[in-house]
Amino acid sequence: MTSRQQLTMKQLTINNNVISLYIHLPFCKKKCNYCDFVSYAGKEDLIDEYVESLCKEIKTAGPQDYQTIYFGGGTPTLLSPKHFDKVLKTLTHLHKTPPPLPEGEGKKENDIEISIETNPGTADKAKLKVLRELGINRLSIGAQSFNNQHLKTLGRIHSAEDIIRFYNDARSAGFENINLDLIFALPGQTLAEWQADIQTALKLKPEHLSVYNLQIEEGTPFHLKRSTLNLPQEDLELAMYEDTIESLTSAGFKHYEISNFSKPGFECKHNLFYWRNGNYLGVGAGAHSHVDGQRWANPNSIENYIHDPRPSPQDQSSPLIFRQETIFMGLRLLDGLEIEKFKGFEQEVADSIGDNLLTKDKDNYKLTRKGLYLANLVFERFV
Amino acid sequence: MSTRTNYAKIRDMSTDKIRNFSIIAHIDHGKSTLADRLLEFTKTISKRNMKEQVLDTMDLERERGITIKAQAIRMQYKGYELNLIDTPGHVDFSYEVSRSLAACEGTLLLVDATQGIEAQTLANANLAIASNLKIIPIINKIDLPGAEVQMVKEELMHTMGFEEEEIILASAKEGTGAEGILDAIIERIPAPKGTDDAPLQALIFDSHYDAYRGVIVYIRIVNGTLTKDDNILFLGTGCEFEALEIGYLKLGLVPQDKLSAGEVGYLIANVKNIADAHVGDTITTIKNGSKQALPGYKPIKPMVYCGFYPINGEDYERLKEAMEKLRLNDAALFFEPETSQALGFGFRCGFLGLLHLEIVQQRLTREFDLGLIATTPNVIYKINLNNKKELYIDNPTKFPDFSYIESIEEPFLKVSIFTPATYVGSIMTLATDKRGTYKNLEYLDQQRAIITYELPLSEVIIEFNDMLKSVSSGYASMDYEPIGYREADLVKLDILINQELVDALSFIVHRDRAHYYGKKYTERLVEEIPMQMFAIPIQAAIGGKVVARETVKARRKDVLAKCYGGDVSRKRKLLEKQKEGKKKMKRVGRVDVPQEAFLAVLRINK
Repeated sequence: MTSRQQLTMKQLTINNNVISLYIHLPFCKKKCNYCDFVSYAGKEDLIDEYVESLCKEIKTAGPQDYQTIYFGGGTPTLLSPKHFDKVLKTLTHLHKTPPPLPEGEGKKENDIEISIETNPGTADKAKLKVLRELGINRLSIGAQSFNNQHLKTLGRIHSAEDIIRFYNDARSAGFENINLDLIFALPGQTLAEWQADIQTALKLKPEHLSVYNLQIEEGTPFHLKRSTLNLPQEDLELAMYEDTIESLTSAGFKHYEISNFSKPGFECKHNLFYWRNGNYLGVGAGAHSHVDGQRWANPNSIENYIHDPRPSPQDQSSPLIFRQETIFMGLRLLDGLEIEKFKGFEQEVADSIGDNLLTKDKDNYKLTRKGLYLANLVFERFV
Repeated sequence: MSTRTNYAKIRDMSTDKIRNFSIIAHIDHGKSTLADRLLEFTKTISKRNMKEQVLDTMDLERERGITIKAQAIRMQYKGYELNLIDTPGHVDFSYEVSRSLAACEGTLLLVDATQGIEAQTLANANLAIASNLKIIPIINKIDLPGAEVQMVKEELMHTMGFEEEEIILASAKEGTGAEGILDAIIERIPAPKGTDDAPLQALIFDSHYDAYRGVIVYIRIVNGTLTKDDNILFLGTGCEFEALEIGYLKLGLVPQDKLSAGEVGYLIANVKNIADAHVGDTITTIKNGSKQALPGYKPIKPMVYCGFYPINGEDYERLKEAMEKLRLNDAALFFEPETSQALGFGFRCGFLGLLHLEIVQQRLTREFDLGLIATTPNVIYKINLNNKKELYIDNPTKFPDFSYIESIEEPFLKVSIFTPATYVGSIMTLATDKRGTYKNLEYLDQQRAIITYELPLSEVIIEFNDMLKSVSSGYASMDYEPIGYREADLVKLDILINQELVDALSFIVHRDRAHYYGKKYTERLVEEIPMQMFAIPIQAAIGGKVVARETVKARRKDVLAKCYGGDVSRKRKLLEKQKEGKKKMKRVGRVDVPQEAFLAVLRINK
């Protein structure tokens, strides 16, 4: 590889031809109080230029058989349909992928999954319809809570009513694979309030639910005032998590990853690439890539990404690191991971089975219920 | 007198022209800065070469504002030879201070104009008076806004009986007062006595290990003459050497052919082990030497013991090597291998006091990068057995079964506490609480008092100084001297973690206080030991009977339920950090115990 190529966007050659594409769109109307993702408010005037750069990066990577495409943010729906059209056309012109879906036909066996993250109130029914017509077939809505007080505390710009309206608009725009993001263990949240959030979400009948436990991250407004936040204690957090699992599985959802629940067949294929330690190319500011055991990240700043899009030096990689990551990512899946992937970690496996954290299930090792609640303690053993 | 005058002609400097002095000051009262100014003023060191605070050579000392190792520097001023003998400034090193003082005829008593006299200053000044030293009182830092010059003057006059005109005002930082001080040294401090033709008696007042030269011994010739290549004998240790090099110190070593009575200098004699050049020992010549040792020699006796264990068992050899290196330069450091059921292989170490312990511990961690567990410090107990035998025990785990014990004695101290009068009440409460016996209360003036108590050493080493500072808003200071062993009703308090007795956590406590300590100790341990996958009972027991119990709750949830998308490296880093944290803990049975827990007893009231 020439140094020039190393210094700019990458042209990809992949040994194993299976790869996903993640496209990061780091624009938000307002930054939420808990958010430490790469996203910026008030930079919308850079969107056109940014999309140019995205297309350039996608072209540089060359034609790839992307198995899934994921528009993440930020708030991707702050972009207009023409931007998505441009990105998707760029991919089409690289030939192989993606074939735009025939209008109105819904989910087919050979459709690739194209997801978009959205926030309530950032797109109307017409815009959602155009996005759907462009071939985007999975919509992830950042609902977070149905309690207006908590939404305010989180710094969200929408209300519970906005979520429901938005969800219904998405349905009528033709989205048949919808995820809702929810967060529990919010400041001052009671178990009853959380149970109410779950019930409201279930009434909407989404295909997928991502349920996250609030983490207080450095550099966020929540971190600054963490001592005054009245955060739930460990026991309450656990009760909320247990209740989530109980309610959602009784409602016919499969608990397939630590934070993720889906109706049968609606697991997020894109995220499965992460958990199975597969290949993915991340384009856009702050996006992470993993190709054939190598990991790198793009610059976080939008301006740097546009003008000097050199990725970070590659993270340290080795066959051992790859195997460790395969294990601690793979064990996030409730079905676990094939036994042969644990080669060289026999002692850790035996200890974890002894501590009732891991169990053997057919050809896999998977977390026990106790191991699920203490997953970090299990993963730690494999790094 | 006439013989002496004649003799003076054939030596470099008549004893009349020699002045040997030291500086007594409390920590931070400006001793090192004053020394710097004197060296500058006498042009011993040019300003350009001046490394701030020349006398404090180790970083750690500089950081803590304490001079641990004394050195001696020779200055020339108005035809006189002035030898500045540095003294350690902390109570742990009071024996070394006394030997440094014994090498001088006078001392500068340096008092901070904003702080007044402190307990150690007074204690060391009393040592100086006992050694018949001429004392020159100096009030330093007069330039500071908070300076209370008149008040400190009166304090000096009242407590030590100085005349007002004797007191010199200075600001070592600004350099004012240096000339007046130098003149006073010449005028007020007497010339050394002693005769060159008497049998040699040289006092060792310090020594340090140099990687290239071996042990460098700092000496004061009290009587006689030491000539290069003399065969010499250390009277206290009985070691014999050859004086390969002798001389005096400026910033470096200045070799000479001989050192005569009254002079201060150094000796290099192929001494390999610093313990052989014991501070306070007397050097004489093998041929026609003195039979008489100088007074005041005391073998080093550690006062405080604790165990040092590597967190990682594989570091045992590295710890051993590191301790051996430290001992090269620290004759007071004692250690021998010991084994703990809970902690594995380590060392039982003896120290002059808690500060000495802390310094050694910090140096091991910093300079040798060792992960270390230090166990609760303890004193040496004297055990009188039923069969009339006596035992001295430096580790609670070595206590015999109590059914064999007739009585136990523990070392006591006479503790003098210097304090502003407002804190007298709370300090007396503290001292009583620590099993102290009231002895005396004396008001120096309306503002300041000295309180004297007799206290068990074991209580003083456990958080006493911190609490003293805390009840006096930091103003009280203390000094102590050992006053021997006394009988006490003591019991051994054992700690069980997860039903296993952790020998390294055992400690000796007075029976009346055992329940209190047991409760506080277990409460503290619960705070120090992080939650783990299972509930951990923490128990305190005396002779197998549980007196207190607390529980570290089981960790029930530790799962990162968050979406980092493709940033797997970040997840990995979080896991690595978590794992790293555990490596800093010691595994006892199934429980990961952090370093802090082993010193929890020192912090039970925080």
